[in-house]
Amino acid sequence: MDEPRDDIDTWLEERVTPLLPRPGTFEQVRKRARRRKLGQAAMAVAGAAVVVAGAIAVPRLVLPRHVGETPLASSSSTTPAPQNSTSPPQPSPSATAGPEDGSATPPPPPVSDLVPPNFAASSVTFVSTSTGWVIGQAGTPGHCGPPDPSICTSVARTSDAGRSWLGRPAPVSGAPDGSNGVSQIRSLDGVHGWAFGPQLYATHDGSQTWQRIPTHGMRVTGLETVSGVAFAIWARCAGTGADFAAGCTSFSLYSSPAGQDAWTPVAGVTGLGASGGAPASAQLVLTGSRGYLLAPGGQLFSGPVSSRPHWHPVTSAALPCAPGAAETGGHPLQAMLASTGPGLALLCADQGSGDMQVKTLYYSADGGRTWNPAGPAPARGIAMSLSGTPAGPVLVATSDGIDVSTSAPGHGTVAWRTARGARAPGGYSYVGMTTSDQGVAVPVKLGLDAVWFTYDGGAHWQESPVR
Amino acid sequence: MGTFRASDRLAAEELFHACYPRLAGWIRRLVDDDDTAHEIASEAFTRLLARWSSLDNPQSYLYMIATNLIRDHWRRIGRERRALRAVSAAIPAEAVHHPAQDVDVRALIQSLPDRLRQPFLLHYYAGFPVRDVAEMLGRPEGTVKADLHHARARLRAVLGEAHG
Repeated sequence: MDEPRDDIDTWLEERVTPLLPRPGTFEQVRKRARRRKLGQAAMAVAGAAVVVAGAIAVPRLVLPRHVGETPLASSSSTTPAPQNSTSPPQPSPSATAGPEDGSATPPPPPVSDLVPPNFAASSVTFVSTSTGWVIGQAGTPGHCGPPDPSICTSVARTSDAGRSWLGRPAPVSGAPDGSNGVSQIRSLDGVHGWAFGPQLYATHDGSQTWQRIPTHGMRVTGLETVSGVAFAIWARCAGTGADFAAGCTSFSLYSSPAGQDAWTPVAGVTGLGASGGAPASAQLVLTGSRGYLLAPGGQLFSGPVSSRPHWHPVTSAALPCAPGAAETGGHPLQAMLASTGPGLALLCADQGSGDMQVKTLYYSADGGRTWNPAGPAPARGIAMSLSGTPAGPVLVATSDGIDVSTSAPGHGTVAWRTARGARAPGGYSYVGMTTSDQGVAVPVKLGLDAVWFTYDGGAHWQESPVR
Repeated sequence: MGTFRASDRLAAEELFHACYPRLAGWIRRLVDDDDTAHEIASEAFTRLLARWSSLDNPQSYLYMIATNLIRDHWRRIGRERRALRAVSAAIPAEAVHHPAQDVDVRALIQSLPDRLRQPFLLHYYAGFPVRDVAEMLGRPEGTVKADLHHARARLRAVLGEAHG
């Protein structure tokens, strides 16, 4: 329809702002539908009885034109929830869908919901206890796609806490290779999400389509999102191959409203580096209202979670330890920060020797201004990731398994126990708690085709094959 | 008959999470408030799920249902407003704020006859290709194209009058 452009076009081309379902809507809908289905069935039986008894000719019901078996247009939603988030947050009023959600855009084509084989997960994110996304490499290079058979980056989604997975469209970008590729994933609410490390991609339609976000030669080594805003660490790095976060010397924090791909530097936290320009790493932690950046030099910066924030150093004193080098996913290895209970936890780890490493936990009850030792963490295993919980206990993922504190730090030395069932060979590169009870861990080793879940605060873990 | 198979439920939940935000947002542009948009979107999904196993294009069906529910909502609101006016001519205008252009064009679309409004909403607003709209409405593609042309011509003419 080639029509001249006019006011009608202007109105039609305004983007539709997505309206997220209220909690529990799907369950209500499902129950109502079930009741109606039962009612229809009862009426059909009653109708048939009438026909038999009276031999009355009943006109056939005419169904809609789309009758047949059900090849579904599948789709989904998600992001790594902030650790204190228990329900998907609503989008900000300014949030809009991406270009693909323009009001005159046709609905996306149906996609296969099969999870490709050999799914090597590298990152996972949950927006609720049931819904999460995982990203990784799957299939056989040369036989992946479409559109590119050599690109095997894949995304899968669960809506039942890891009991089953469905394939989702993924960014068309390969595994990390220097400044190219993606390996990590986060979602705000199941609609807006980001794949990063080192490149940056965004989805605003529940992973149906992904758009590349230009980062001007910088690599995205961390990203978190909460309250309608996404924050990301953009770094200048020299690492090659899978070590995309190696050799990073300059770090800046960027932010964007979740529904817009409008990334701008966060005032006060740009051009950060370690002393002497040594390669380093940085880490970002968001709570519901405040964000914290563990800077490469060991300083802690903080600021509000808003779309035009200004962040400041929390204190002029350095933290008990600096982040040091990054592991392959971009997380620091020598200092790890987490929000836990009402405070912040910091794990300081030395270089390690073999499979042993000295680790010390610190706790701050005043937003990072002062830190108190909370005792050593178990020495076995090289620390890879620290997670807090709303209730306070912390978890450490190591090359040997997962250690869980038996109490919240802040009251003297904490005791630890080794989690049961966390037996992935090579340990875990990431652990994150969605609630105080439920959490997820990603194994270090590729080829295990699974992530691990806990439903009891980290005491026990079970494997969830991604297939 | 009464219960979903697990795979159906998963597929339905997938579709719900993928389509609800945009569908509800789409409805929101055509009705007065978030509550009504949620109500219509939920009802559309309820009707969809109630006949899940007999549909081969759930997304089209969803938008068809929503279009009809929006039309019913407009009719009901119209009746209520007429009734209110009949009771008291002194009742002030509705206090709800909408972007002026949205309300203008929405009112114009409301004024279109069903025959033109349905294809207009499904094609220009929900984004379905003409071929799909033709199948959804059971009309030849050429007829749908002509309906769309007539709908635009009517809207353009009224807008022209209003702005001229």
